[in-house]
Amino acid sequence: MDFPAERIVDARYMEPPQPFVATMEMLDTLQPGEEMLLLLYREPHPLYRVLQQNGHDWKSELRPDGTFAVVITC
Amino acid sequence: MQALLSFDQSPPLTAPLRFLLTAPLYGVLAGALLMIEGADLLASRWTPAALAATHLLTLGFMLQIMLGALIQILPVVAGANLAQPARLAALVHPLLNLGCLLLVAGFLAAAPGLLQAAGVLLLLSIGGFLFAAARALLHVPSTSPTIRGLKLALSGLLVTAALGLVLLLALSRGWSLPLMPLTDLHAGWGLAGWTGILLSAVAYVVVPMFQLTPGYSARSGWAFPWLIIFPLLLWSLAFWCDWVWLAAISQFSLALVGIAFCLLTLRLQSQRRRPRPDVTLHYWQLGLGSLISALLMLLTAAIWPALSQLPMWSPLFGVLVLVGGFIAFINGMLYKIAPFLAWLHLQNRGSSGGSLPAMNKFLSEAEMRQQMRVFFAAFGLLTAACLWPEALARPAGLVFMLANAGLGWNLWRVVRRYRRFCLPVNTVPAV
Repeated sequence: MDFPAERIVDARYMEPPQPFVATMEMLDTLQPGEEMLLLLYREPHPLYRVLQQNGHDWKSELRPDGTFAVVITC
Repeated sequence: MQALLSFDQSPPLTAPLRFLLTAPLYGVLAGALLMIEGADLLASRWTPAALAATHLLTLGFMLQIMLGALIQILPVVAGANLAQPARLAALVHPLLNLGCLLLVAGFLAAAPGLLQAAGVLLLLSIGGFLFAAARALLHVPSTSPTIRGLKLALSGLLVTAALGLVLLLALSRGWSLPLMPLTDLHAGWGLAGWTGILLSAVAYVVVPMFQLTPGYSARSGWAFPWLIIFPLLLWSLAFWCDWVWLAAISQFSLALVGIAFCLLTLRLQSQRRRPRPDVTLHYWQLGLGSLISALLMLLTAAIWPALSQLPMWSPLFGVLVLVGGFIAFINGMLYKIAPFLAWLHLQNRGSSGGSLPAMNKFLSEAEMRQQMRVFFAAFGLLTAACLWPEALARPAGLVFMLANAGLGWNLWRVVRRYRRFCLPVNTVPAV
């Protein structure tokens, strides 16, 4: 799926906890049902727990270059 | 919202920390043993002192830290929550340490009773950990190469421990078994099947995260653990059937796979976006270079077995794999993990008020660099001592003691500063 740049957090070269902070900040700007894309070189299990607690859905996919693409629904 | 942000699934800080703080003591003991024994320790891998020193490093230092780190990282990198991690740590830690000390004493004193007692304690500690980890991972799908690697690494630990137990029983009860090839197989599973696979599984996460490199490709991530396990299974078959040629092919394959992983990691590190090299990167570069050297030795010995009969071959291989390789990796990662753990738990404790200190406030670059210089000197001396043992074995032991004492001191610094920083803070989960 194609995402506009303003709906993508490319956290592949960010140090913890920046990926989490940037993701939560973007989620705060979305309406219920809208989606965003998080890109990381690891599977963010701690983030998954927080998303679950907050009632968000997500699905992740491992791309050939080692990037985990996580689509999060607000 | 603040409560929802709290990453409260993390095990209590004491659970991993007790392992991390104990491990350097075994490095100190190994250095002390080399100081006492001198050149005799490096004369053969089969002397009681050499067996004792090897297990001080592999069980007391390496396994100790790997188990402690796994208690912390299983929920973070695999989403696998250990049931009662504090209780597990309180059970495994003393059993492992008592077992390791009895094993070392049993080797040094050639006392079958001590060896058997050590076997029971190590069986309980490693078995207990494996049982808890298997329960946590059982229902976790292998959605990433890291999770697949963790599962296979733990299988490698199981085989290593089982082979070690058989060796202990054979030694202490006089069983008639081919001890030398069985010891090689035990070491192969321990170094490649357990430590090597675990290192790679963790590297997929920590190399890009801490050094800001590109990621490992998905294909290499999925393939690597199987490329280790398959030759190990062949090697095991070779032992069973007494096929020396198949054992040599297996070792050759393992060496090639290991070198490929090291070269791939070096290539990723050369593309890092962190401009200034830090202590962890230097430790990793030493580890990768040393491991490549050791694997080249293994490669050539698989083709010309007579090489491995040279007196300096075994101690040099051991120093390159254990000290320059795995212990260097662990040392470098500890300097990321320990301040990160302190930071993580500090933010979990707080609710409101002040702000979190930066991670370098727990341990400065200068403090780490000072210890790193001593470690690098110890590695250089140990390598040289394999060639000139009479002159250099004791100085090498002394400097290795100092390097490990320095590591222990730095880890205690993190703990002391964590306690000092324990003030109300904002909470932000680390991802």
